[in-house]
Amino acid sequence: MKIVMKYLLFYFILLAAICLIVLYAIHLHRKHKKSVRPRNKINLEPFFYTAPVFILLVLMFGYPLLNSFIMAFENYKLTEPDRIYINGFDNFTKIFSDSDFLLIAKNSLIYVVLCVLFQFIFGMILALALRKKFRGRGVYQAIVFLPWALSGFVVGLLFRWSFNGEYGIVNDVLLKMHVIQDRIPWLGTPGYSLLVVIIAMIWMGIPFFAIMILAALQSIPKEIYEAADMDGCGAIKKFFSITIPFIKPTIIMTLLLRTIWIFNSFDLIVVITGGGPANTSQTIPSYMYTMAFSSYDFGMAAALGVVLIMVLGLYSIFFLKMTKYSQAGDF
Amino acid sequence: MKKKSLSAVLGLILAFSVEAGCAATKPAKSVNSQVSASSKSPGDIKSLSFIDVSPSPERQAYFEKIFKKFKSETGITVSYQSVPWDDAANKLAVMGTSHQLPDVMTTWAGWLGQFTSAKLVVPIDNYIASQKDEYTKAVTNIVWKSEKQLYGATYTVPDGMMVKGVFVRKDWCKEAGISLDPDKGWSYDEYFNVCKKLTNPSKRHYGVAYRGARGAFDPIMVYLEGFNGGKLYDNQGNILINSKECQEAFKKWTDLYLKGYAPKDSVNWGFTEMVDNFTGGLVGTLINDSEVAPTCAKNMKADQWMVMPMPTSKDGKIYNTINSPYAYTISGDCKSPQAAWKLIAFLNRSDNNIEYCKMGGLIPVKKDVSDDATYGESGPYSAFVKQLNNPNVVVPCAFGPFDYTDMHQGMMHQEIQKYLLGQQKAETALSKITDELQKRMKNYLKEHPSASVEEPKSIS
Repeated sequence: MKIVMKYLLFYFILLAAICLIVLYAIHLHRKHKKSVRPRNKINLEPFFYTAPVFILLVLMFGYPLLNSFIMAFENYKLTEPDRIYINGFDNFTKIFSDSDFLLIAKNSLIYVVLCVLFQFIFGMILALALRKKFRGRGVYQAIVFLPWALSGFVVGLLFRWSFNGEYGIVNDVLLKMHVIQDRIPWLGTPGYSLLVVIIAMIWMGIPFFAIMILAALQSIPKEIYEAADMDGCGAIKKFFSITIPFIKPTIIMTLLLRTIWIFNSFDLIVVITGGGPANTSQTIPSYMYTMAFSSYDFGMAAALGVVLIMVLGLYSIFFLKMTKYSQAGDF
Repeated sequence: MKKKSLSAVLGLILAFSVEAGCAATKPAKSVNSQVSASSKSPGDIKSLSFIDVSPSPERQAYFEKIFKKFKSETGITVSYQSVPWDDAANKLAVMGTSHQLPDVMTTWAGWLGQFTSAKLVVPIDNYIASQKDEYTKAVTNIVWKSEKQLYGATYTVPDGMMVKGVFVRKDWCKEAGISLDPDKGWSYDEYFNVCKKLTNPSKRHYGVAYRGARGAFDPIMVYLEGFNGGKLYDNQGNILINSKECQEAFKKWTDLYLKGYAPKDSVNWGFTEMVDNFTGGLVGTLINDSEVAPTCAKNMKADQWMVMPMPTSKDGKIYNTINSPYAYTISGDCKSPQAAWKLIAFLNRSDNNIEYCKMGGLIPVKKDVSDDATYGESGPYSAFVKQLNNPNVVVPCAFGPFDYTDMHQGMMHQEIQKYLLGQQKAETALSKITDELQKRMKNYLKEHPSASVEEPKSIS
């Protein structure tokens, strides 16, 4: 009975919170409409057209999201199906008191920053190199964009074998080039194991940056560059004063998307290192995956998911404000 | 009128909602009682459903073939379905919650705690009573005895037996001048010494396939239990494998990695990497179940490998886990347990069981198949079969009747890895694991005052 009451109370609070958010959104909307233009009759047509997608989103995305939010406050282990109950903030307490959580959070940060940074730099270089027409550009383009077409699992296996301590090609090449004296156990050494995953992710993600930036570069009118040439602008000046401002919205959106995707990705980590050794290559999403599908602790996994959503939500708001996305592209 | 109709509809919706809400709080009817109330005799049954939790093309082909044979003999059609192993426990639990479980399931022993408490499987003591004598002692004295002890009844019929052995590179031993005799056996110190002698990093030869990732604590625990007669806890739930002697033994075991008898990468190795690197020629010994034998036979020449029994402990006994990879169970949603039992009995009939065991590298569960050439003196399974019949073999205690999945998938190997990587002391690593096990065992005993601590089991 106590558990039922707890559930009812919890659902009531959740419902009240959702109602408050909806009411506040309606209030803001009305306020905005009043200040912008006189009240018109609501046009229902757009809602009618978007309804199927909206319903699908609510069913396929909204419901699981809401359910995971509820599970984050429950003791929800598949191994104990008869002992599922609301445990308040216990899951969050466990996460933040876990001695390895700081290490995992630090790994996540290093993983995201290095991957996004190098994917952006190499993607930009690749896009600039492919901008001008040259013989065989199509073939070259197809080859360098190939990693993006491969599945994470295949890329993971490829890197796991390349960096194998005994038979890996990387050690062989480095030994033959006399860069190293002994074979390095890449996947069994803290630091190196995370590095291997980072290299794999950078290699896999460069084409996406290149495709996006190349598309943006090709949309810049040639006349602007001609005018700049006539004004005597050098290559560097043209790059920073014309190219970058023009492609800024694309860069911002790509950086934002890739940061979120990389932060959320766990397939490469699971395949290459499994988060080991001793969690030294574990990130929050791969830890979440382990909690859900190895330990069957869906409560803990959902709590980690809530932490992820909050971190990424805050990051998105902060990033868009900092980069002045709404003003990007205005000249 | 419109208002009245609307009120009536709303009233009905409200009534259904209240009913639905109340229904959830009503005590659920016992699954067993439901089964017995609606059970049909085998004669009435024309079809059964079966789910395999470890599908593979070979297994599917086998089951489909055997179900055709079953139909021709009994007239009962069996529909085959499968679920990938990684999702199996989850999927079966979900199917059980919605009462949609197939009649017969292959089940893993590790799920029994969860499945019996959720009544996803039904006891089968009445059915096995008449056939008990046909099964090997490993089944009756170990598997079924343990189930009775842990869950109060028998729920499973093993599909085959698995016992651990040490796979050894015969050709490397010959080169290193090491002579090994499976009949004579060996001690742990002799085994460690062989690992040392087989190591030659310049030739990329390492003595041991060290398990550093998931499952890393399993062989260590068995080794440490050997110092306590196979026991893990005393009667009060105090852990016994954290004594000074066990701490030294823990260091001795982990020295296999620290002294370089295993590749450095092996700190992150699981089952697949161990097997791949043994058959691939990087490591000279591999502790694993008989199910690895077909892989070795497929990828290695006959003169390259052999199997030794598990080493003896200081008291001269072999402490070894004996279990079945999967077992047949009758689900809580089965309409006719008698017909389901008929199918299980058919699957384990000697001729069918031996065919099944050869496919998966298992030891048959029935006595009358032990004369088969594959399982005889010169067969590749000889060392395994002999252990199953060796009165000197003791099955040590398992982790406990509580849920330890999170520990097994996380801290058990992570704490050892931290020690191997020099991040903490051996004593700290072992204590963290044993303290948590002890805490859970004591909690379990507190919550189940009538429960007793598991005892080691012997075949004799």
